[in-house]
Amino acid sequence: MSNELLRLDGVTKRYGPNTVLKDVSFTINKNEVVGLLGDNGAGKSTLVKIMSGVVPMTEGSYSWEGKAVPNVNRAETERLGVETIFQDSALVPQMSISRNIFMGREMTNALGFMKIKKMDDIASEILDTVVTIEGIKSSKQLVQSLSGGQAQAVAIARAVHFKRSLLILDEPTSALAVRATEALLDYLVQLKSEGVSSVLVTHNLHHAFQVCDRHIVMNHGKKILDVKREETTVEELTAAVVGGAEGLEKYRANKKK
Amino acid sequence: MSDEKKSGTELHVLTAPLQTETIQTIRRLADNKPKGFWGKLTSNLQFIRGRGALEISVVAVVLLVAYSIWSLADPENFRFLSEQNISGVLTQSVPLLGILAIAVGILMVAGEFDLSLGFALAFNAVIFIRILEWTGNIWIGVIGGILSGTLVALINGLIVVWTKIPSFIATLGMGFFWGGAGLFVNGPNSVSLPNEYTKDGNLFHFTFAQDFGWFRSQIIWLVIIGTLAWYFLHRHKLGNHIFAVGGNPAAAKAISIDPNKVKLMSFGIYGALVGLSSVIFIARIPSVSPAGTTTQDFTLFAIAAAVVGGASLVGGKGSVFGMIVGAALIELIKDGLILGFDAGIYLQLFVGVTIVLAAVFNKYMEGKAS
Ligand SMILES: Nc1ncnc2c1ncn2[C@@H]1O[C@H](COP(=O)(O)OP(=O)(O)OP(=O)(O)O)[C@@H](O)[C@H]1O
Ligand SMILES: [Mg+2]
Repeated sequence: MSNELLRLDGVTKRYGPNTVLKDVSFTINKNEVVGLLGDNGAGKSTLVKIMSGVVPMTEGSYSWEGKAVPNVNRAETERLGVETIFQDSALVPQMSISRNIFMGREMTNALGFMKIKKMDDIASEILDTVVTIEGIKSSKQLVQSLSGGQAQAVAIARAVHFKRSLLILDEPTSALAVRATEALLDYLVQLKSEGVSSVLVTHNLHHAFQVCDRHIVMNHGKKILDVKREETTVEELTAAVVGGAEGLEKYRANKKK
Repeated sequence: MSDEKKSGTELHVLTAPLQTETIQTIRRLADNKPKGFWGKLTSNLQFIRGRGALEISVVAVVLLVAYSIWSLADPENFRFLSEQNISGVLTQSVPLLGILAIAVGILMVAGEFDLSLGFALAFNAVIFIRILEWTGNIWIGVIGGILSGTLVALINGLIVVWTKIPSFIATLGMGFFWGGAGLFVNGPNSVSLPNEYTKDGNLFHFTFAQDFGWFRSQIIWLVIIGTLAWYFLHRHKLGNHIFAVGGNPAAAKAISIDPNKVKLMSFGIYGALVGLSSVIFIARIPSVSPAGTTTQDFTLFAIAAAVVGGASLVGGKGSVFGMIVGAALIELIKDGLILGFDAGIYLQLFVGVTIVLAAVFNKYMEGKAS
């Protein structure tokens, strides 16, 4: 049996005349943490949106456990168990923490009326166990009253609560303090043992190197590197992220000398 | 390279052992619940602040108490507490504006407006009367009026959702269209309810405009619609989706809520309530201009009531309770001006000031919201 979870083949994404992704192919395996790296504007977030079904691809194919998924949309990926923490616009500021966590997946009775108290309690529980972050007073607090890091913690808590097979994190640690970051990275490793894969998008190569089994480096919409941790170094990743394909070549040439 | 040095220290920080004691001493949210009656009450009030209509309700109650005291002290000149004022004015005007404010408010929570409301009110009334004339059955007419309201709003909504032009512009244009459509269907003469439906003993009259002494049928409609709307908007998942879409459509979409569907649903609910309001309106005022001149003022008064009650002009915020209180406050101010100062002609001036003050106040409270 193949170990493959999600595979993208020949994915191209165009926004009008702009080609943002060019013929990108890769696989995410079961029980794997994959780092998705690259400079600003390299196309990481676009790939994340395609993987989570929020944005359609222009060309290419999407398959799950070896089976093609013809119409990828968010409802479909939700069914597959994909959960995403988006870099932008994940939460509704005017709504409470608990309503944000259960947005679109409200706990209701048969008639669709929400079990408010139950959702509040579970939201508190999630915030206590998943992300340990200071300063949140209650799950009834509005998200607009939270700090950037606290809001990020809520987005993480939601994804972690609903994930089943793949957790995609687009720069989840950009607003987190050291302790919360460390806890989250540890958590990704722990998830592997529970059979949940993750894709981590980050600009911090040391974070990526610390937890990822494999690294994919994007540059101007193309995949330029896809290596296992054992076969690379932080220096090589840095060269690829900063210098692109040329930088990578140069680095390798220098090393051979 | 200095870059490498920087990341080098980061690595060092990250590989430092975690201080587990600090994690254990973090206060748990689940243990942090308010205890006892007062604890729970103050905690809940704290969360209502700036979201619902706590402050504006206080203003309305203060006004009500002041009017009542004034009226008790000077019953001859300030006839606020008279049966004629309460039943003849307030329990008719407050429910109509209240239901319209709920309609508009739900749409505003979804992040949209409908400036064609006044024209649509007249158009639905025309359709109602026309169907009554054709079928001879007033209840089919009532249903027709409500369906007409729903359809009119859905057409407005489809234009907004499809073309992506701001609803402000789309419905401004469609307002003239519906005004014209009313004239087209009916001709220039005003429409009116046949006399038999305006008398005591008639079931239609009983349902929509009966005088019960100190109150009228309309107030019961406000209670029913208000309760249903509250449960829908604040307790049903579809209401929750309206808040999500109005607050941040991108976030809603990312979680597989379709903003277009939710907006259309909001237009539909809004329209059904406007259709019902047309029926309630014509039951009381038996003559309506098909071009919308009699009903035009309702457009902005309904939006004003929702805003006074705390609904946000950019979506994602509002409460049914606030919408009703907003409508009541506007009608109370009107009533007081007319009764106390015989200043009906300055109505707009005072209502205008109230709206601006309420908006400023809500903005200020928003900053304080927890
Ligand atoms: N909706 C859009 N319409 C047009 N162009 C877009 C759109 N979204 C992204 N792009 C473009 O696609 C390119 C890749 O963007 P993307 O957000 O995927 O980059 P990224 O790798 O996530 O960058 P960052 O590290 O800054 O988050 C950018 O040049 C961006 O301008
Ligand atoms: Mg990005």
